Amino acid sequence: MDRALEQGASLSEARAADVSLRGLEKRYGATRALAGVSLDVAPGEFFTLLGPSGCGKTTSLRAVAGFVAPDAGDVLIRGARVNAVPPHRRHVGLVFQSYALFPHRTVRQNVAFGLRMQRTARVEIERLVADALALVQLPGHGERYPRELSGGEQQRVALARALVTRPAVLLLDEPLGALDKKLRDHMKIELKRLQRDVGVTTIYVTHDQEEALTMSDRLAVMRAGHIEQVGAPREIYETPGTVFVAGFIGNTNLLAGRSRGGAAVECAGVTIATAASAPAAGAPVTIAVRPERIRLDDTGRLDNEVAATVAHVVYQGETVRYLLAADGGLELQAVELGRVRFPAGSRVRAGWAAADARVLLS
Amino acid sequence: MRARARLLLLLPFTALLGVFFAAPLLLMVAISVSRQSFGELQWTFTLHHYARFFSDAYYIGVLWDTLVLGAIVTVASLLLGYPLAYHLARTRSRWKPFLLVAVLSPLLVGIVIRCYGWMILLADRGLINATLVERGWLAKPLPLMYNRFGVAVALVHVFLPFMVLSLTGVLKRIDPHALEAAMTLGASPRRAFLEVTLPLSLPGILAGSLLVFSLAISSFVVPVLLGGFKVQVLPMIVYEQVLSVFDWPFGAANAFVLLVISIALIAVYIRVTERALRGIV
Ligand SMILES: Nc1ncnc2c1ncn2[C@@H]1O[C@H](COP(=O)(O)OP(=O)(O)OP(=O)(O)O)[C@@H](O)[C@H]1O
Ligand SMILES: [Mg+2]
Repeated sequence: MDRALEQGASLSEARAADVSLRGLEKRYGATRALAGVSLDVAPGEFFTLLGPSGCGKTTSLRAVAGFVAPDAGDVLIRGARVNAVPPHRRHVGLVFQSYALFPHRTVRQNVAFGLRMQRTARVEIERLVADALALVQLPGHGERYPRELSGGEQQRVALARALVTRPAVLLLDEPLGALDKKLRDHMKIELKRLQRDVGVTTIYVTHDQEEALTMSDRLAVMRAGHIEQVGAPREIYETPGTVFVAGFIGNTNLLAGRSRGGAAVECAGVTIATAASAPAAGAPVTIAVRPERIRLDDTGRLDNEVAATVAHVVYQGETVRYLLAADGGLELQAVELGRVRFPAGSRVRAGWAAADARVLLS
Repeated sequence: MRARARLLLLLPFTALLGVFFAAPLLLMVAISVSRQSFGELQWTFTLHHYARFFSDAYYIGVLWDTLVLGAIVTVASLLLGYPLAYHLARTRSRWKPFLLVAVLSPLLVGIVIRCYGWMILLADRGLINATLVERGWLAKPLPLMYNRFGVAVALVHVFLPFMVLSLTGVLKRIDPHALEAAMTLGASPRRAFLEVTLPLSLPGILAGSLLVFSLAISSFVVPVLLGGFKVQVLPMIVYEQVLSVFDWPFGAANAFVLLVISIALIAVYIRVTERALRGIV
């Protein structure tokens, strides 16, 4: 680990770069791939773009790399506008889902490529390549060809190749997408460790919310070419700003209703006390409640309580998920740790605190 | 049972190959080492005809001209075909099928018609020269036909599809992200092409070149029609010896030299590709 830290130090940029996107627009025919994307990534930050397929994540990333020329808006690296700078002068590291290693070059030659382009001295290249391969824990694989490596190993070579030139920004486009679950979980930790050791500013693209929540310092949730919300993982999870974010991140009870003014909303005949005050009475709103915040037959006093019948029990091993049909027509999901306490058909009282009921504008 | 059924299905083709290809080939080799006196073949073993071929400056000259023509046609097809193949491999245009048909179109026209088409264009009084002279841009027509140029043009025209198809198949399989990866690592577009795309397309370049070269050095009709016997190539000597001079053994020896050159090329190709392509396939 100490050794790894040292190697990380040898690869890290003296000063990590900050990256900003200002009102990026991009159209492909009738498709608006980017509809005004603005964000600021701090130096050394692990920043994630999260969103469903086709929302413009890759397009944003490629705009930073210089492969997509935006119709409008600016890309800034270290505060300098780089719109007119071609990809090979932007000094970014890019890792693709397909790795895109050079199949006709050995691992060593792959990693050395960027250094060769920079006209680094021979001896220096040897040393840096060895360091980079040690950093990704692949020493001794230098003379192999990419096709002689497993998916996870190719992934690490791609990382080493991108990091060895000490790029201003590291761009990762679903780098774990092609790996199986177990390897993905391992690489998630590995990647995060590497990023922290090297300290490089990183923009990570994924549609996997679990990856986004566990790895990022901050993340942006994207939808149809724009950013819905930016924040730390906890902020996004606990205080989603829009119905889309609440629905996209994790499992959420979304209850449509109407504001009754003050901190109360009426959903299907039930009045629900909420965290913040709802907008003017009569406005249509949606309430978001996380399933794990719903208590079943809790002895304590809860702000909101409804009587319900257990419609379905989904056993998930660590957790149990109950699908509840509340009297009055509301449908709720609740998640509990441990064993099944209520079989299907039982009557329960479902309750939650007002603080856990977030009001979102519909 | 399965295996036997499969072998049985292979039989017709194997028989065809044996009767109409292998047997005549063996016969040709046998004839090339036989003697002929007063029109009668005598089944002996002599290298006389080969010695005659390689000791006569005229035939060596024709062999050299044939190889040079093959090289010119190959290089020209490669230079013209590569950009075309690159575009075909990458384009997402809906006109792609039409472009493909256009590329293949030379193969859809009979060889004689194609040659006469080129004659109409290239002759001294042909479309190109007539236009240039009539407009007063040239005093004398350009020598476009009955020389190596005319033959090469017509050969490139018909062999280009082979080159383009060989290249397209290989270029399509190159991950476009590899090129982008090279660029983010600091390679200019030109450098990225030279470092990534070009070496990765080497199998296609070699396959296409080999195909075009072998076809070019064994072509007969095009050199006759557009070369007008001013361009001599080995297949014409073979034709002459067998059908005009009736010297079958010498004709067979010529043909065999041509064949050996093709086989040698294929052998070199396999060796080179094996070494150059370690890691690619
Ligand atoms: N080169 C292109 N030509 C035409 N349309 C494009 C092009 N690139 C992207 N698009 C369109 O722009 C939109 C955004 O694409 P983008 O690749 O950025 O999505 P994404 O968020 O990366 O999705 P995914 O998770 O599936 O990779 C999509 O609707 C896509 O079809
Ligand atoms: Mg994408």
